[in-house]
Amino acid sequence: MAATFQWSESNTVSETVTDGISNLNFVSTDAPNASQTIYPITRPNSSFTKYLRAKFSGVWSEISNMKFWKSSGTYVTDEVIKAAANVAFVTPTQTSTGDSEIPITEGTALSVNSYEGPSTITYGSGVSGYTAYLRLQLQMSASTPAGAVNQKAFTFQYDEV
Amino acid sequence: MSNSIDIDLNSGNNSMNSLVFHWNAIFKDGTHIFQFDKDGIEHKFKEVQEKFNELVYFNLTNNRGKMFSVNLINGLIGYNRLEFPYIETEKKKENIRLIFFRRHQIELNESLNEKNHNIAYHLGLQYNDENNINRKIILQINSLGHFVIGV
Repeated sequence: MAATFQWSESNTVSETVTDGISNLNFVSTDAPNASQTIYPITRPNSSFTKYLRAKFSGVWSEISNMKFWKSSGTYVTDEVIKAAANVAFVTPTQTSTGDSEIPITEGTALSVNSYEGPSTITYGSGVSGYTAYLRLQLQMSASTPAGAVNQKAFTFQYDEV
Repeated sequence: MSNSIDIDLNSGNNSMNSLVFHWNAIFKDGTHIFQFDKDGIEHKFKEVQEKFNELVYFNLTNNRGKMFSVNLINGLIGYNRLEFPYIETEKKKENIRLIFFRRHQIELNESLNEKNHNIAYHLGLQYNDENNINRKIILQINSLGHFVIGV
């Protein structure tokens, strides 16, 4: 009923798009659904950047006011998640981005546009149903303690008619 | 060292919690558009938007008999089929326009599932008062039918 969405991740130089990903592990490889056990991040390196989009389908007329933020989960020492919205896709790398720390409140959340650019996704021909890209990256330093970090939760909000 | 975060994004799909409230629209010529018609087909809100000038009532109902209603002719909001306006705003209203949307807030955890998926129904109207000032009144309704009023 109404709109549904799935998360989509883009990878590789030629932009391989994977809709319906099953997780977002911050890992040391450029691949969707990768295992952090197989591809752990070695401090002080950063994870590969993740390029995410939400893809809407179902029955809806307009999707607007899309926001994304980290809603829970504390960092360990020198751990931070950097994020930016509405960026262009580039081949993911482990080079640390200069993005800001991901917001942690609705009031400061990242505002996400449609893939086509406007802030509203209007159902119709020529509209992909994708949001613009969210770029996420886990960054650390040599001081980051070894071992697993704390669990995080993220919130995605949107208005629909 | 293994230092990564496992953030699962809900198996790639949100569960799209069943909508508790469904809308229906009544137009000047007596015709209706139900969000879900008798054949179970879901209609787009766009069909209502295309006939906004003809819209008389816009209702939200749930299967427990709760009903919120916006009268676009007189600028009144009703509740639970009360015969009198439950929420009366200004006396003189011009250019009355419907406000309606559903606000989804989905919290995703690391376990493939949504931690929360809240849907708040925002229903109301905006209009111009006798001084031509734009005003609005909105109900924010949760899935239980509890609501707060915002202006």
